[in-house]
Amino acid sequence: MVNYIVRRIAQAIPQLFVISLVLFALMQSFGDPLATMGARLPPRPEDQARLRRQLGLDQPVIVQYAVWLIGNDWMKIDKDGDGIPETSGTRKGVLRGDWGTSLVTKTPAIKVIAERIPNTLLLMVPSEIIIIIVSLLIGVYSAIRQYSLFDNVITAASFVGFSMPVFWLALMLMYTFSVNFKRWGLPYLPTIGMFDPQVGKTPQQIVLHMILPVTTLCIISTAAYSRYVRSSMLEVLSQDYIRTARAKGVRYTGIILRHALKNASLPFVTLIGLDIPFLLAGAVVTESIFAWPGTGRLFVDHTARADFPVLMGILMMIAVAVVVFQILTDVLYSFLDPRIRIE
Amino acid sequence: MKRKLYILMSLVVLASMILTACGGAAPATEAPAATEAPEQPAAPAATEEAPAKLKVVTITFPQEPDSLSPFYTGMWFSQITQPFWLRGLWRIDNQGNPVPDIAAEIPSEANGGLTDEGKTITVKLNPDAKWSDGEPLTADDFVFTYEMILSDKNAVSTRYPFDTKVESVTASDPHTLVIKLNEPFAPWLTSIFAGTNTSTPVVPKHILEPVFQKDGTLDNAEWNRAPTVSAGPFVFKEWESGSHLTFVRNDNWFGDKPKVDQIFFRFVPDNAAQMAAIKSGDSDIGVYLGFDELPDVESSGTAVVGTDQGGYVESWFFNFDPKRSHPAMQDVRVRKAIVLATDREKITQDLLHGKTAPVGTFWDATPPFGDPNLKPDPYDPDAAAKLLDEAGWTLGSDGIREKTIDGQVVKLKLRYITNSRDIRKNGVMPVVKQMWAKVGIDVELVNNANDVYFNDYANNGPLYGDFDIAEYSDAPSFPDPDVSHFRCSEIPTPDNPAGGNFQGYCNPELDKLFDQQTTTVNRDERIKIFYQIEKIMHDDVVWAGMWNDTDLWSVNKRLTGVVFSGATCFWNVTDWDIT
Repeated sequence: MVNYIVRRIAQAIPQLFVISLVLFALMQSFGDPLATMGARLPPRPEDQARLRRQLGLDQPVIVQYAVWLIGNDWMKIDKDGDGIPETSGTRKGVLRGDWGTSLVTKTPAIKVIAERIPNTLLLMVPSEIIIIIVSLLIGVYSAIRQYSLFDNVITAASFVGFSMPVFWLALMLMYTFSVNFKRWGLPYLPTIGMFDPQVGKTPQQIVLHMILPVTTLCIISTAAYSRYVRSSMLEVLSQDYIRTARAKGVRYTGIILRHALKNASLPFVTLIGLDIPFLLAGAVVTESIFAWPGTGRLFVDHTARADFPVLMGILMMIAVAVVVFQILTDVLYSFLDPRIRIE
Repeated sequence: MKRKLYILMSLVVLASMILTACGGAAPATEAPAATEAPEQPAAPAATEEAPAKLKVVTITFPQEPDSLSPFYTGMWFSQITQPFWLRGLWRIDNQGNPVPDIAAEIPSEANGGLTDEGKTITVKLNPDAKWSDGEPLTADDFVFTYEMILSDKNAVSTRYPFDTKVESVTASDPHTLVIKLNEPFAPWLTSIFAGTNTSTPVVPKHILEPVFQKDGTLDNAEWNRAPTVSAGPFVFKEWESGSHLTFVRNDNWFGDKPKVDQIFFRFVPDNAAQMAAIKSGDSDIGVYLGFDELPDVESSGTAVVGTDQGGYVESWFFNFDPKRSHPAMQDVRVRKAIVLATDREKITQDLLHGKTAPVGTFWDATPPFGDPNLKPDPYDPDAAAKLLDEAGWTLGSDGIREKTIDGQVVKLKLRYITNSRDIRKNGVMPVVKQMWAKVGIDVELVNNANDVYFNDYANNGPLYGDFDIAEYSDAPSFPDPDVSHFRCSEIPTPDNPAGGNFQGYCNPELDKLFDQQTTTVNRDERIKIFYQIEKIMHDDVVWAGMWNDTDLWSVNKRLTGVVFSGATCFWNVTDWDIT
């Protein structure tokens, strides 16, 4: 087991290296960070040339990648534009923990990302937990009571939920529970942000502001997940060993939980294992609509400015998380299904 | 084997217990929320009863500033926050007039502030001027600002106009600032240490000089994101990335005192979500609304619509290049007829909800440089038809005018290109097509997305190809009225691909006036030159204005005194109050 894990990690290192190289090359097609610098008009040509030099963007891509990876504090760079390198570089490179400086905020990229992760997790983790529990309950129940009224209603509802665009659902919830409820004099929820500036950032305020975005995320994903649980449960329930267990007189709930659900959970575990790394990435649309300061929005905002140090940071963080959780999922398989052996 | 199974089973049970525990926690966090929701509306009621509560103005921004330091930003959404917390020598009010802030008075020839044909500007500073930490704000701060902009150590977003127009900036005494220019430079008022959306006001030397000495650059200075020492009616309190930016009242401010306690900027990237916030009252001031959203704002009962003159006018640019345009376009009578045949008043009333009006000059949204006496031509289809008859374009059997040129019958069918979202959304183009059909002009409508439309000469952008009328919203170097667009030297050629004169218009008389205004430091004289420029452009029908493309804001009804200026959007923040 330990050998297996060590081997997988060793494999992951060149894998991540290749990913970083590909991502860095792709970054070049995100546009020119100096195109507008966020202003209404492009900067003057003389300012563009100077900034390109000062920010090191005039270097060939491969040099920029090398600086990103291993830094430039061992060489001299040209800052005043006379063609002679005179200033020592200050970058340490990713391998030594320096993710570069955001071209937008001029602060360390790692800090820019780290500021957003707690907010994103605050939104995503409760959502994921609710999604897992609710879809297990719904999925298992509708598999046991296949073609019952409950199953039919839930099936219809989950197709509606699944096919609803996130932005539409989010805005409908907002207009219904915030704008219209307020107009009708009913108890209403806040529209955007994490708190009301009049009250301040209290835990109650944050919970209140979480309700609509969490609901949005849950409705969309629960619909899809409960279908997975239902279909894999149905498959397992028709197996011979379930019939045998029932014939032996094992308690029904015991059969469902111990024999059926455990075996049926394999595809579901795969799904969640692939999902968890993306919790860090946040929910792009939901965060944008509810003005939630998470990583998803960070990615969108900084894509618009081609801020590659921050974009690389977010993407590499997700890449690492995906690799780690894939290893964990594979290990978990062997616990859930003894037929799978790790050697 | 059995033992192994036992361990596995207990692990699964343990895992499910943890899961249920977490699951139990989740509904628990939901539960109080559900019970709290009904209580919430009681809170605003409480604020009405207790007026002692903080007066907080919430402004929603679709974009988050990149940096608050004026050195490191070119973003409008960063620059327009400055009137709250970082004032320059002066700001520009909604009439386009300068109002002194750090300066004691506006330099002029009369008060001896402008000498040496305008090449030396001497600014007397207000001796009471202080930073928010109580330190005096002196001419040395301005000299330091100038030095930092020009330092190679700092990757500032622009050095304009200090690298090309300014010779030196010195302090002759702590309260007198002397700016020497290379040549008379008319835009000095809005671009040198001014508190406008496009100029660098001033930075605190006593805070930033030690940082520069220690780090060798200001690029990473903490002040850039947390300018706790500044000079304005408010001072920075907090900036949470992606969420909000807060300014609180500055008790050390020597100018007018603000009536509200806090300014809260909230970043809301989604348009529809901002609209929901405006309607529910969660946003006091919203920006970047579309004309089509205005009825929605007004019918909400919570907000009213505000506008500012941001320099942009929805424009028609006629093509003068015979190789790329219809032969009729060379005739001034045809161009005039096109303008007369368009009922711009009706378009702005019906399709843009009367929130704007046709403009007579390219500078109508750049006060005070637009000639108020030069009104847009009225709608007069009969006069248009007469002009077209005179020009030899007679009605054909199909109702479209035609003319025989070199033995060939040419139809009067024009190519109209645009990028405007209002046109797409509100159907202005079909309306124009109908209006022109009445006088026998046919039109081919071409609509491009922005990125295609503004492709340059080298990339064969539509503006550099075949067209007769190009429509889009354009502005001069606002708040300065200068524009290079209409000059002969700007006609793009393979040798000069960056030239902006895609109309191919060349008039030496107009060129002379454009050259003259850039070096005319006296503002009144410069305004008069612009009046002459506008007269020529109007008579020669070089350009026609569809409507004033103002920035559209929403203002919650509980706010009073909010007036926007295009050059310094939030110029009168100390007049704002919450009722």
